[in-house]
Amino acid sequence: MNLTSDPTLAGLTRRHFFSRCGVGLGSIALASLIDRNAVRAEGSTGLTQPLAPRATQFRPRAKKVIYLFMAGGPSQLELFDHKPRLNALNGQAIPDSYLQGRRFAFMDSSFKNRSMLLGSKRSFRQHGPSGMWVSELFPHTAGIAGEVTFVRTCATNVFNHAPAKLFMNTGSSQFGRPSLGAWLTYGIGSEADNLPGFVVLQSGPRGPRGGAVNWGSGFLPTTFQGVPLRGQGEPILNLTAPEGIDAGRQRRAIDAVRDLNLQHLVDTGDPEIATRIAAYEMAYRMQTSAPEAMDLAGESRATLDLYGVDPAKPSFARNCLLARRLVERGVRFVQLYHTNWDSHGGPGETLESDFEKVCRDVDQAQAALVRDLKSRGLLEDTLVVWGGEFGRTPMGENREKTGRNHHIDAFTIWMAGGGVKAGAVVGETDELGFGPVQDRVHVHDLHATILHLLGLDHQRLTFRFQGRDFRLTDVHGELVPSILA
Amino acid sequence: MHSDPCPAAFSLRRRWHSTQTPVGFPGAMSRCRTVLLSWIGAAAVAVGAPDYLREVKPVLTDHCIGCHGTEKSENGLRLDTAADALKGGERGPAVVPGDAAGSLLVQVIEGRHAQLERMPYKRSFLSTTAIAAVRDWIEAGAPLPAVETPGRRVHWAFVPPERRTPPGSVPGGVSGGHPIDAWIGQRLKEAGLSPSPEADRPTLIRRVSLDLTGLPPSPERIDAFVADPRPDAYERLVEELLASPHHGERWARWWLDVARYADSNGYSADAPRSIWPWRDWVVRSLNADLPFDRFVLEQLAGDLLPGATLDQRIATGFHRNTQLNEEGGIDPEQFRIEGVIDRVNTTGTALLGLTIACAQCHDHKFDPIRQREYYQLFDFFNQQDEPTLEVPSGGLVQSPVGAAKTSAKPTATLVLAERSSPRRTTVFSKGDFTRPGDEVDPGTPSVLPPLGSEKQGGHRPNRLDLARWLMDPGHPLTARVTVNRVWQQYFGRGLVETENDFGTQGSPPTHPELLDWLAVEFASPTAQGGSGFSLKRLHRWIVTSRTYRQTSTIRADPLGKDPGNRLLARQNRIRLDGEFIRDVALVASGALDPRLGGPPVHPPQPDGVMNLGQVRREWTTSAGGDRYRRGLYTYLWRATPHPALAVFDAPDAFSTCTRRNRSNTPLQALTLLNDGAFVDLADRLAQRLQVGDRGGDRLVEGFQRCTGRRPKAGELERLRALLDQERRAGSDTEAWRTVARVLLNLDETITRE
Repeated sequence: MNLTSDPTLAGLTRRHFFSRCGVGLGSIALASLIDRNAVRAEGSTGLTQPLAPRATQFRPRAKKVIYLFMAGGPSQLELFDHKPRLNALNGQAIPDSYLQGRRFAFMDSSFKNRSMLLGSKRSFRQHGPSGMWVSELFPHTAGIAGEVTFVRTCATNVFNHAPAKLFMNTGSSQFGRPSLGAWLTYGIGSEADNLPGFVVLQSGPRGPRGGAVNWGSGFLPTTFQGVPLRGQGEPILNLTAPEGIDAGRQRRAIDAVRDLNLQHLVDTGDPEIATRIAAYEMAYRMQTSAPEAMDLAGESRATLDLYGVDPAKPSFARNCLLARRLVERGVRFVQLYHTNWDSHGGPGETLESDFEKVCRDVDQAQAALVRDLKSRGLLEDTLVVWGGEFGRTPMGENREKTGRNHHIDAFTIWMAGGGVKAGAVVGETDELGFGPVQDRVHVHDLHATILHLLGLDHQRLTFRFQGRDFRLTDVHGELVPSILA
Repeated sequence: MHSDPCPAAFSLRRRWHSTQTPVGFPGAMSRCRTVLLSWIGAAAVAVGAPDYLREVKPVLTDHCIGCHGTEKSENGLRLDTAADALKGGERGPAVVPGDAAGSLLVQVIEGRHAQLERMPYKRSFLSTTAIAAVRDWIEAGAPLPAVETPGRRVHWAFVPPERRTPPGSVPGGVSGGHPIDAWIGQRLKEAGLSPSPEADRPTLIRRVSLDLTGLPPSPERIDAFVADPRPDAYERLVEELLASPHHGERWARWWLDVARYADSNGYSADAPRSIWPWRDWVVRSLNADLPFDRFVLEQLAGDLLPGATLDQRIATGFHRNTQLNEEGGIDPEQFRIEGVIDRVNTTGTALLGLTIACAQCHDHKFDPIRQREYYQLFDFFNQQDEPTLEVPSGGLVQSPVGAAKTSAKPTATLVLAERSSPRRTTVFSKGDFTRPGDEVDPGTPSVLPPLGSEKQGGHRPNRLDLARWLMDPGHPLTARVTVNRVWQQYFGRGLVETENDFGTQGSPPTHPELLDWLAVEFASPTAQGGSGFSLKRLHRWIVTSRTYRQTSTIRADPLGKDPGNRLLARQNRIRLDGEFIRDVALVASGALDPRLGGPPVHPPQPDGVMNLGQVRREWTTSAGGDRYRRGLYTYLWRATPHPALAVFDAPDAFSTCTRRNRSNTPLQALTLLNDGAFVDLADRLAQRLQVGDRGGDRLVEGFQRCTGRRPKAGELERLRALLDQERRAGSDTEAWRTVARVLLNLDETITRE
């Protein structure tokens, strides 16, 4: 039961309010609560509904984003960047020409005795119309090569996890900047009126380094920050009414809060109170809509099998399916974090069994997501982005087993759907995979391109703070036309 | 057709500039004095019309000489004197006497030149008035002044504040009323607006109690205040609140935001740290009204004071609130430097109100701060070791409300200590520490007064010299920035809206004279010989003003004269900070454990919060009174902040926070409605009301405990309808529980009216 669905209650409230207050301001506020469209109209001014959808700057190619964040930095050399020459030089010293002017993480452990080049043990085959090389570890992903643009020359600035994740999400390794999802919901709001506009889902053995700053709103209002939905228990913190409070009681409590707030709105004239009344209504709707969105009971066996989901267990696969359900319900930006891709060679981080496991965690589900979105007609306006905060070095790192170090000069990300070329490869690295020889795509360029696909010019999406206009791309970023369909 | 977007502000700035005279900083203002003399000189030789010095030169000074002056002269053109303008640059004379339309200067400021972009380049165009002044002067033959000092642009915030007499007051007398009201009233009158009436007493006591202690008043205290017939009842209340030990807690939170205080190391691993003795030092110092100059000095450089006391060393924890990266594989030097950078930036933002951080990678784009100067400031913070200090157990906070027990073991806290041999400091090219450039010595930006120690010569300046320089009563920024941020707490917005940017891109003050009055009086010793920089005196000034005491009801503003209430024709309603929202619920329900200080505590939080960090940290809910301590004492994990604080915009403690966002979201609604901690407090409030310890109507009592006032008839009727409804649906206890939840969820309960 809620205001919009129960005409009797709405009428009662209206009568109650008019008899008591009979003031213009109040009637406007109440009307906007009862008629959601009125809230929308007002929301377009940002007054009571900061997340209401807003116009893009030009025609968007995508309306929603699902960002699959591979936390820890997956090895492009084991997955996408096929380097026969590196394999041939396996175990040899790094040519000096590749070392000049570069810094690497783990200086001490790796460089005291200068580590040696490490070939990949994985076999690669070409797939799809682009002839993209994909390794045996990603058989399902290889199968969607025809839908995907692979970018082999992504480059970032920082090579420690937390700052690099921050950089990938906010375009800065300094704390306090808004993340991509926050910028998007700030820029164009969300089409979901009963779910948050920016949702975060997590899987894997641990949370991503840096935690909440990765989906923070920085200097933007917190309205725009990502809301983590949880894999088990309540999907949103405090979503469930307290024990002993049934739905009727909760609704009656919210009604009373609304009426008393409305009275105070009339008394003070402060529009913030109207916003709060609307927030309580949204909160109430979320109590129903969020569990519904998270409930996989309605999904067919075929769909569950496509993703490889066991509905009872939290997993990346389950989160992929949830991501589809969330964009179906209008959520603007869904970000999935999966750990752990940090393959240094130590326990739990080997390029052998551990890497194989994390590949298995994601391969089938991420391919299924793209296929499922396509079969439902959602891929057209949903952008899927896949990538980590950086890649791995062509040199090996020997701890207990083999591993690789953090590498920022060239690593592979891929994109599919909304406005992206179906079946393309952008960029080429040198024969050892150290750096780009063609079409470097910096994180800022990636951000500029994503915003462009969503109908926003990265130079014009700004927020004034501390005396200057800030952008996601700072003073950098260039659109990458070769990614665009 | 372009006009000046803000002509009123422009004329105000102009007026203000022309009355600057140097004060304070004896002997230290020579640079500024030259500039000021040029202004005074300008006024002295003003003859004829159109007057170049009065009408034209200020336009050129404000808009042109940044690129065409002594520091930069693009295309060889300078416009800092009329003679230079006539002489011109690479494109020939800028001014052709008698021919405005043919003068290059006019062509570019009007945007009529075929090749050149409209000037000022990438800035707002000149107002039609300003362009007309230039044209008229040229048409009149561009007469040169007899004497002209090259114009130099001095931004208002770089000129020390001047002691001012409030309008309408007799010098030395009190007939003009409260100085704050005099300044505010003057602007309102100019705008044709009038102030709002004084808020009623229940509103007033709740407002001032929340602002001075962060706690709402009890119904008994409200009733007593409402019934108090003494003419100075309000002033007595203010004194009582300023003397409360909870005053230090409330204003410590203000300072902790700036200090980016947390109880963990941040970055990825986010290990726990012990630095709460520093937090307790802040509470203690604010309660004792330690003068703000000492307060800052001891935090920046307490260890360097001769015979530094334990307290003075604890105080240096201020700059140990930086994050610490313990991730594997890092270059420790890189993150030591990150820490130093954070110290420079925090000092710049919090005390100077300047976006100094912009100069880490390049010369500041807008303010006169060079990259080299950034690293000169950097040097002060580059010379420390970062030791841990053992603090003896017990008795850190003495208080009539009791101090939280600490263990018998000594406690550790983080402090600064100067190294015996200084590190070499260089500029980092593009801010990158792997690209060292020229070596620099410690120093302060040249646009600001020089360091005191520079006069004396001798030793290499250190943090103590920097602190003394910052807290010199004549410093143009520190006092202004501080009073502005205190003002912001009381009105929701500073007199300078960009509280962290007093530079050229910041907003100009809405009430420049008042800002200066507050800054000068704040820094000055009292008439009775008491020390200057008393924060309690500043609080007293503000909260006793009529401006502060007005109602916050939004009035019709049919002419749209002041839609943002910048002129303060009323108070502003301010949603409480997350910590105080919790405190209000603690007090309303009678659960508050009022003890001061001690290690951080673990109030209840939802399960699973701690899973979100890289390393899963422990959260064992505190037992006993620690479950109900003030929000100030909640354990602050940077990676996994307490959700009930974060959802209400508590800062993330990654970098300095000089103003909190005040968002208004569905997640806040869910927190207040459903969070176990708030439901627990609602239950306690319900029990309290069922017992009915005050007699009379329990609904009235509940409403009063939460909002501070009695409900109106309609409100009471609505609550009674709810209670009846709920009684029909279940037990009496359940019914009261719902009533209590409703009361704790009211917008008014979490708002300072």
